[in-house]
Amino acid sequence: MVDVAKLYRKLLKLYPASFRQEYEGAMTRQFRDEQRDAKGWKENVGLWLHALSDIAVSAPRELVRELSQDSRFAVRVYRRRPLSAVIAIGTLALAVGASTGVFSVTSALLLRRLPFGDASRLVELSDSPFSAGNGRAGFAEWRSHNSYLESAATFSISEMNLNSGRDALRVRVTETSANLFSLLGVQAHLGRTFVQEEDRPGKNHVIVISHRLWQQAYGGNPFVIGSAAHLDGAALTIIGVAPPRFDYPGNVDVWSPTVFDFEVIPKHGAFIWQTIGRLRPGITMRQARQEFETDVARVNPKSLRPDSSSIPQLVGLRDQLSSQIRTSVLILFSVVLLVLMTALANVAQLLLSRTAERHQEFALRSALGASRSRLLQQLTVEATALTLSGAALGMIFAWLVARAAGTVMPAQLATQEYTLLDWHVLCFAIALALITGFTFGIMPTWLMGRIQPSTQIGRMNSVTSEPATGRLRSALVSLQVAFTLTLLVSSFTLGSAFLRLVHTDLGFEPANAVTLKVSLEGSRYQTGSAKWQYYSAVKERLQSIPGVNAVGAVNYLPLSNNVLMAGAIQVESGPKVPGVVLNGSMPGYFRAVGSGLIAGRDFGLDLTKSPEPPVIVNEAFARGSGFGPNIIGRRIIAPWTPRPYLVAGVVTTARMAGPEYEGGPQAYWPVEEEPPSALTFVASVSGDPRHYLAQCRDAVIGLDRNVPVYEAKTLDQSLNETMERPRFYTTSVLFLAALAFVIAVAGVYSTSSRAITQREHELGVRIALGASVQQIRTLILREGTVPVAFGILAGVAGAAGCGVFLQHLFVGIHISGVMAFVVPSLFLLLIAIGTAWAATTRVLVIDPIEAIRAEH
Amino acid sequence: MTSSTRGVDELLPLSLPVFHMLLSLTEGERHGYALKREILQRTDKRINLGSGALYGAINKMLEQGLIVESDERPDPHLDDERRRYYRITPLGRRVVHAEVARLRSLVELAEVRLGVPDPV
Repeated sequence: MVDVAKLYRKLLKLYPASFRQEYEGAMTRQFRDEQRDAKGWKENVGLWLHALSDIAVSAPRELVRELSQDSRFAVRVYRRRPLSAVIAIGTLALAVGASTGVFSVTSALLLRRLPFGDASRLVELSDSPFSAGNGRAGFAEWRSHNSYLESAATFSISEMNLNSGRDALRVRVTETSANLFSLLGVQAHLGRTFVQEEDRPGKNHVIVISHRLWQQAYGGNPFVIGSAAHLDGAALTIIGVAPPRFDYPGNVDVWSPTVFDFEVIPKHGAFIWQTIGRLRPGITMRQARQEFETDVARVNPKSLRPDSSSIPQLVGLRDQLSSQIRTSVLILFSVVLLVLMTALANVAQLLLSRTAERHQEFALRSALGASRSRLLQQLTVEATALTLSGAALGMIFAWLVARAAGTVMPAQLATQEYTLLDWHVLCFAIALALITGFTFGIMPTWLMGRIQPSTQIGRMNSVTSEPATGRLRSALVSLQVAFTLTLLVSSFTLGSAFLRLVHTDLGFEPANAVTLKVSLEGSRYQTGSAKWQYYSAVKERLQSIPGVNAVGAVNYLPLSNNVLMAGAIQVESGPKVPGVVLNGSMPGYFRAVGSGLIAGRDFGLDLTKSPEPPVIVNEAFARGSGFGPNIIGRRIIAPWTPRPYLVAGVVTTARMAGPEYEGGPQAYWPVEEEPPSALTFVASVSGDPRHYLAQCRDAVIGLDRNVPVYEAKTLDQSLNETMERPRFYTTSVLFLAALAFVIAVAGVYSTSSRAITQREHELGVRIALGASVQQIRTLILREGTVPVAFGILAGVAGAAGCGVFLQHLFVGIHISGVMAFVVPSLFLLLIAIGTAWAATTRVLVIDPIEAIRAEH
Repeated sequence: MTSSTRGVDELLPLSLPVFHMLLSLTEGERHGYALKREILQRTDKRINLGSGALYGAINKMLEQGLIVESDERPDPHLDDERRRYYRITPLGRRVVHAEVARLRSLVELAEVRLGVPDPV
């Protein structure tokens, strides 16, 4: 038979240590008494129920009472040495704050759900052969017969001109199958979204607009529903407004169900079709992938070959959306964890030495009958009080970090506007604080081992001989130094890579340039000559603004995230130059953008009508052709026309995508020849280009209000946007490394200074026996430097390993040469030695007589 | 913190179990289980203190200085096991009297407002 009283006694473990120690015996005895008095099974069951409910109510109450007592005691303990407590809390606040802030971004990007209905079952079929390209019937046929998707939608994104009676706007439009909204589980904010058959020709002259567009262009007017709007000249009816912040698949303002009927909105150029789907219930991602591959193999087996340029894949929508920055965010998170661990090492140091200092107190309390669990509880509460206060303070810091990090989130996700600090993040911070508290609260006690009251009480100098804690403290210093060095090397590497980027020659001059775009889609300028007239008028207007020095225009401006089309171009009696970007420019462009003409000349106004129209190539092209600047006067054959072009000039190579990426070969043809439907104008100005923005914009809008003038900004602004990401990573890693550095230096200082305090007796004896103060200081310094040296060795290894990951942050990062290691290592070593030496000044005040006497 | 100088009023009102316990202890020393049984009997089994509640209250009263531990000895009515006995302190007595006075004034106030109820 089970001894039920024993069971009851086990349950009493739920009470806090002190209470249990005091009343466990009495309570167990009373339970036995009651058991003896209970008659029959009914009374026994009643007794148990009563006992259980009693424990359920009173155990938490006693726990709270005892914990608050312990906390009050902890505060008193910390008040005795406020400085080290303040340092520990401050360190923790910074570290917990930084890691929580970065965690909030990580969790927003990688862990949380998308704001769509049952988002975990949404997938993207990247590079899939199943898209609008198969036509409405073909897509519907595949959709209804595939085995893994419940439903699928296909769409294509492009920029268009929106005219709705006011000034024309340039908007991002998603032409989609009618089921996009229902697939994502998104309801209209106003009006309705598309119905099933609305993507049929004849029924599809409708659009849904974004909440943002509704507010900005229509002033939130509810009567917008049913009104007409023109997209690139096509008349369509607004039937709904999307919910606030919904802009899937990214920064979209208009949705139209015209993906199978491209004639509705006339367009030219290339489209990219995308397909997303919702998995059938009960099917796993792995099964879906397998069936998808079978499906693709049936339709287009070639695309699955490993050498294929784009292999069709089925990926979770969230993974797809976060994939670009996933690695970067994880790297940043790891960096922050390093700082956190450096800080925790400091806190551990503090708690360890505190435990060592209070060895006597604990031995005494233990002799007076305090149980081991009682002391353990006390230490844990003290540690947790420290870490929780650190975490609470850290939340303020976390908020700042999250806000800073939030501003550089990729547009795709940032526009979904996640709340960055929510209960996930709060739980993270609290868990972090509690785990640290428990770990470092319990570890010292565990290290204290089995305190033997009888032997410890007599020994007044118990702290000098604590080899276990001493070794652990040295190990902690080594760890701190290793982490810090890893961070220092990383920031050194990132910083120098960033400086290289800043000083990269872009091939053009971003200062003093204003840029703006115009698009003639759907406007009254449709013939070549009408377009050319309009563009010439724009140029004239800009040129007439006082302070404008040069004006030109180009198809693809550097730093503006264009999707560039490249092809091979044959040079007469020379090689075929591959990967050439075909760009068009208006005379004056190169001067306006500050691209130097290396040889030849810019387009004149008279050249275009000659039988051999001129073309300007860049240096990369000239080099690729093998002729260099001598390419002037040679003919090249473009893929789109048999008519040869005559190379009239060579310009510097522009880094189109910013300093991170090398510029490729380009050929500029005169846009006058066949004016495109959109151009970017560049005006170089005297003085601050920002002052010219409004004027330039107004001058162009004044020409024709039905032509949208958009993205008016300075070229410097575009450069800044391009550099935002590298700048953010560099600044964060630098900042975190500096933080870790300060923390580690504080750690080294306090370790050395504690080593002296705790060995005062021994040092006193040494001095009394004739050791000079300098000798003592050197001894302490040597002992303090050993763990630092070990830390530096480990740090060098760690940093070498980290370099591989850092390269994912931005282009141009490589740990180059020994300097990247030597400089930070020496720096850290010198600072550590200096700090330890400064700490040893305490030796100067040791009075040997006092020190020896104090111990006896 | 267990000072008898502490204001009696700060400790009022007493919870019902504490009031009963102090009341029992004014009649002499008791151990925990005896207190429990006495209160059970007095209140017609309406207040049945579990061990946790009982010793929680005792712990608190000890801290507040309302009672003190007297000694450990066997209960002659139960068995030979040694039990911890508790004794009320002068402060405890003052507090229990003050609580009685507080209750009395409440009852008087109610009687004035509602009229003296008929004896049932």
